[in-house]
Formats: sequence, structure tokens, C-alpha cells
Amino acid sequence: MTRANIELVFPVSYNDKFYKDVLEAGELAKLAYYNDIVVGAVCCRIDYSDSFKSKRLYIMTLGCLYPYRRLGIGTLMVQHVLNYVEQDGNFDSIFLHVQVNNEGAIDFYKKFGFEIVETKEHYYKRIEPADAHVLQKTIRKSGQANGTLE
Amino acid sequence: MPSSNPLPPKENALFKRILKSYEHKQYKNGLKFAKQILSNPKFQEHGETLAMKGLTLNCLGRKEEAYEYVRRGLRNDLKSHVCWHVYGLLQRSDKKYDEAIKCYRNALKWDKDNIQILRDLSLLQIQMRDLEGYRDTRYQLLMLRPTQRASWIGYAMSFHLLEDYKNALSILDTFLDQQLKHATADYEHSELLLYQNLVIQESGDLQFALNHLDIYSAQIVDKLTLKENLAELNLKQSNYNLSARIYEELINRNPENTMYYEKLIKAKQLTTEEDILDFYLKYAEKYPRAMPPKRLPLNYATGEQFKNLVDKYMRKALSKGVPPLFVDLRSLYKNAEKVRIIEDLILSYVDSLKKCSKYSESKNGPKEPASAILWVYYFLAQHYDYLKQTDKALHYIETAIEHTPTLIELFVTKGRIYKHAGNPIEAYRCLDEAQAMDTADRYINSKCAKYMLRANLIKEAEDICAKFTREGVSAMENLNEMQCMWFQTECALAYQRLGKYGDALKKCHEVDRHFSEIIEDQFDFHTYCMRKMTLRSYVGLLRLEDVLRGHPFYFKAAKCAIEVYLHLFDVPLKDESAEQELNTGESRTFKLPTFVPDITQKLIAFVGFPTKKGITHLHLSPYISDVAPLAFILLPWLKRVIKRRCQGLG
Repeated sequence: MTRANIELVFPVSYNDKFYKDVLEAGELAKLAYYNDIVVGAVCCRIDYSDSFKSKRLYIMTLGCLYPYRRLGIGTLMVQHVLNYVEQDGNFDSIFLHVQVNNEGAIDFYKKFGFEIVETKEHYYKRIEPADAHVLQKTIRKSGQANGTLE
Repeated sequence: MPSSNPLPPKENALFKRILKSYEHKQYKNGLKFAKQILSNPKFQEHGETLAMKGLTLNCLGRKEEAYEYVRRGLRNDLKSHVCWHVYGLLQRSDKKYDEAIKCYRNALKWDKDNIQILRDLSLLQIQMRDLEGYRDTRYQLLMLRPTQRASWIGYAMSFHLLEDYKNALSILDTFLDQQLKHATADYEHSELLLYQNLVIQESGDLQFALNHLDIYSAQIVDKLTLKENLAELNLKQSNYNLSARIYEELINRNPENTMYYEKLIKAKQLTTEEDILDFYLKYAEKYPRAMPPKRLPLNYATGEQFKNLVDKYMRKALSKGVPPLFVDLRSLYKNAEKVRIIEDLILSYVDSLKKCSKYSESKNGPKEPASAILWVYYFLAQHYDYLKQTDKALHYIETAIEHTPTLIELFVTKGRIYKHAGNPIEAYRCLDEAQAMDTADRYINSKCAKYMLRANLIKEAEDICAKFTREGVSAMENLNEMQCMWFQTECALAYQRLGKYGDALKKCHEVDRHFSEIIEDQFDFHTYCMRKMTLRSYVGLLRLEDVLRGHPFYFKAAKCAIEVYLHLFDVPLKDESAEQELNTGESRTFKLPTFVPDITQKLIAFVGFPTKKGITHLHLSPYISDVAPLAFILLPWLKRVIKRRCQGLG
């Protein structure tokens, strides 16, 4: 995956560490090809920040070049993430940030069962509007313990 | 034949062990045995032992001592074939082939039937292209070893190379006559037959060649070559039906070979545009996946026909995303009408694709993929670049980049447009961007390095190349070791532009050395090919080596070298300080030879008398003898330049 690619798709710039981690991420980072051309990318990380018990998946970026939208590429990438989570079996939820005015993206994620659970003010530093919604899809009801009870 | 100074049995046994040690590469042991003989005061000046000691030392890398011992040995025993042979081997290992041949001849004076010396001599003669000498030596070898296959073939080949086909063929015939009685259809026998056929064809008797192939076709296992030869010979002999049938079989074997189609058209004697287009249409149906029957008719069709065909051809490629579509069609640009038709079509695709994602608005059917318009822009950029309409080319490449900024090819093309427009700096920047998008792509990496050199950024180019060269060695060294000539030539040209003439010459001479090495490397094939019976390839190799320095890579480097030498004549470097001024900042500065100012006079000196036979060796200086082959190739051009200079000098 190349840095230039991501910077072309998203208005946000990431630091070097981000790109270094991406290279080692395996299934968590994928490029989407359309007729052998790179047109999209998805990149996630596993997040334990909520509490030490919960394992969550955070979608850091998911995007597709403009001319190649509405062709099912985004769906393919979300589906890849959902499959990953399902196969792992231990995730509580998936979440991500989206600019509050990005209605296309919000509708897109709602199709897959994501909901707005929170709005963070001044989340973005260099783009307007700076506020972000947190979209989340719950995989397992909270309170339910990890693993099965005997 | 015994030496003039024979050793007693004990010492003789030791001497034999020296020989054995040498053959088995046990050089340390060899030296030990030599010492045992030489430490005996009676034999301390024994010629052959001294010579062998020298030869052994040479193998251990002690060249100077080697020459000393071998020469001393020879002086002590001038009538010994061993001493002369050893001296010859030493000179050969030092690549002094002319000298080595003289030594072998002296050795043969004292032992005229020595097989080993004759073989070694024959190898040098063929390497040096002393074809008459080679023929005579091969004759002696045949007389001494008439039962060996190689003796016959070598002798026949010597006549072939001398273009004496009659003798070559009669020797091959005699040899094959003995062979055929117990011949099985193996590969080597088959190759020999094909070689024989090659000689017959070169003799000009095509009907004989055809008959020969017919008779032996069952024994020839290389069916492809057999068929190709049969088809070609029948075509040349006007057996059109037969030739057409064979070409049809060949197309069936490999429907991607464009030559077969063109030859089949000749065999079918099709001449009108209509017939040829029908022909290709038929084959396009028969082999739906083959490219030639779709691409080749574009060369013949004109007007409305061409428009229909090229329209179909381009649509398919644009939908699929075939990056080299433009390169594929470029040869059609010789024809202005075709250029216009292609341009009209492509521009109409842009409009329709924007409106309805189809190549034309009227048509029903499925929508084209989202990438189609990208490839259309890409094609247009190259189209206008070729027509030298830089503004339009840049407009379309920018549009394409805006559409899909992730496609590396777009940046390469953008760079190429700038290069063609005469802006090497902007060109290299584009390539650098492309390179950064996929650092694991070696093609892009090399392209980027080349563009950097065009922009005179030598250090940067070396650093880019270093991503792929071996670790632990400097990229420059490794590229030289790998005979990476495009890099070295571009590097020389960059140095020339920067006025670093010493460095430029250094790079040119590195390229020249690669060519010498390639000629050198030929040596091993003289025995190998004869043994493996790959005679046709061997003759091909010999002929390639004969014109090796005619290669464009050589021409480019040689032209640069000569330009630099001429420039140094016109504007001589005044003294050491001026030289340093020219080369400041370069740590690996190449020292210019002190005779540089009169270099051009020397160039004129040998440009005046290159002989017909080949390259002149003037031994003026290490430099000039290096440049001699350059000048020979560049003779016509060089003469013009020098004449102009001389007139200028009054």
C-alpha cells in the first residue's frame, strides 16, 4: 500500500507510523482493485481502549476513488471487515469516525447496521467541519462475558 | 618427442607428477615436485620444469614470476615443444592471442602431431578468425583422429566459414555416410542434419535444400524448425500450395506468430486489400483468442474499412484496460488518414462515455466499466504527445490523473511528455513520483534512474538504483559488474553535459570493456558447441560476435567518447589545476592522460588507415588502442567531423 494512494483518497494526513503499521496489518489492511487498478483501501486496528474487557475493531480509513463509487467496492471492503470480525468471534463492536456533514458515508454505514452513538466536537484538526460522529455496530451485547459460561 | 635435455627416470617421474598436478589443479603439489627437481644442482636450469613451474605459478595468480620462469625455461630449452606450449598457454591466459598463436606454431615445429597443441591452436585461430589457419589445423586434426566426430565437423565447418560450400558439404556427406548405417534419430544427429541443410541453403541451391529436408524429415526431431524451413523453402521455390499448407499448420501450432500470417498471404498470393482483409477475418473466426488476425488487418485496411476495424479493436482494449494500446497502434501513425480516423474515434468516445458510459450514444447494450474513460484519456495523452501537441497531451494526462490518481503509468507518461517537450527536470520529477508509488517495481525504478541521468542528477540516480543492486557494494560498481550498459551510457552522457570529461570517458570505456568481455566469453563456446552439436546456434554466435560492436549500445557510448576526445582537442585542458577545476567536488575523479591535447591528431592518424580486414592495432597508448575499434565503427561519421575540424584549423 502506498502513502500517496491514501493521501489522494482522504482529506486527512497520517503520520509515518500509521503507514509502517499498515504494512504489518495483514487482513486488517487491504487494497481494493477494479480492473487491476487500485481504487480503494481499508485499514483497521484492534482497540482495547474502552475497557480492558472489551475488544473492539476501529476502522481507521475506508475509502474509494470518486469515479469508482456506487460500484459495490465500499460494500466489498465493509463486508471484508465484517467477515474478519465474525471469524474472529471475540469482538464486541466495530466503530469509526465520520465528519458530521458526510451524509453519504453515514447512510452507507447505516445500511450495515451502524448507528451514531456519540458526537465529538473538534475531532478533526485541519478540516471543516471539525466535528465527528462516532458510528458503531454492536456485535455482542455488552455485559455478555467473553467465551461461553459453563 | 623427447626434449633436448631428457631427465633421468626418477626426475622424469616427478615431472609427470607436475603435469598431473597441473591438470588436477593441485598447484601447491605441482610446485613441490618442481622444487624437488630444481633443487638438484644438475637440473636447476631444466627448461621444461622451469616452464611448468611458471605455468603453475600463473594459476596461483603470480603472473610476474610466471613470466619470469616460463621465459627462463624457454631460453634453456628452445627446442622443447613443452616450453613453447607452456609459453603459449601463459600468453593465452593473458589474452595475448596473437602471441600465443606464434608460440603454438613454434611448439608444433618440434612436435608436429601433438593433438593437444593442435586443438589449442585451432581454438585460438577460430577466436581470432584466422579462418585459413583454422582450416589447416582442423585438417591436421582430422588426419590424426579420423574416427572422431568432432574432427570431421570442425573441418567441414572451417570450409563453411570460408564460404567454400562445396568442400564443406562433401566433408559432411562423407561423414554422414559412415554414420547413417547405425544412426538413431537422436537430437544431435538431427541438429547435424539441420546444420547440413543450413550450409546447403547458404550455398544457394534451394531445390537441393528442399530435397534434403524431404529425405531426412523423419530423422529431424526439431519439428518446428523443420516446418519453418520447409514452408520458407517451398515459398521461395514457388511451390505455393505446399507452402500455404505448411504455414497453416504452423499457425495452428502458434496462432500468435505474426510472421506466419504474412508468409501465408504470400503463399496464397493475395494482393488486394479486400482479399487480405477477408483472409484475416477468416482466421479471426478460426482463432478467436489470437491477436494477430485482429491487429494485422489494420495495416492493410483503409478508409471506412479501417474505421470499422480500428473502432472495434480499440473499444475492446479500452474496456479491458490494455495499457500498451497506443504503443500497439503507433506504427499506424505513418499514415495521416489513419491518425485522423483514430483521433476522431477516440474524441467521440470521451463525449459518449461522459454522457452515458458507452462508446457511442445510439447503441444499446451494457455500460462500459468505470475505468474505460481513464484509458481513453491515457491514450489521448500519448496520441497528442506523439503529434508533438504538448499542451493537449498534458491536458489529457492531467485529466486522467485527476480521475485515477493511483495509476502509476499515468505519471510515467506525464514524465515522458515533459521529456519529449525538452524539460528533463520536470520529467524526472514525474518519474520520481511514480517510483515512490511502488518502490518494489524495478521497471519504474530503472526508468526513474534514467530520467534522473537525463536531468544530470547522477548521484540521485545511483541512489535510486541502489534499491535494487547488491548490498555491501556501491551501486556504480555493481551496475558495472552486471554490465548495465544503459545506465553507464546515460551516465557518460550526463558527465559529458556537465563537462566532467574524465568521468564521461571512464564510463564510455567501461561499456567498451563489456563488449571486449562478450567477445572474450566466446572462447568457451568453441569447444562446447562442437561437443553438444548445436552447430547452427554456434555459427549464429560467431556471426553475431563478428559484428558485435555494431550494436546500438556500443555506438552510443563510442559516439560520446569520440565527441569528448574531439572536444578535448579543441579545448585542451591547460594543466593540472585546470583539470581539477573542471572536476571539483568529485572524489573519484578520473585522471586524464597527459597526452590528451594531441589525441585528435592520433585519432586522425588511425582513421586514415583502418584496413578492410578489421580493427587496426596501433599500440599508440592504452587509450588509443581502446578507441581504435570505436573509430572503426564510427568511421564515416568521424571522417566528416575531423575533416570539418581540419579545415577549421587551416
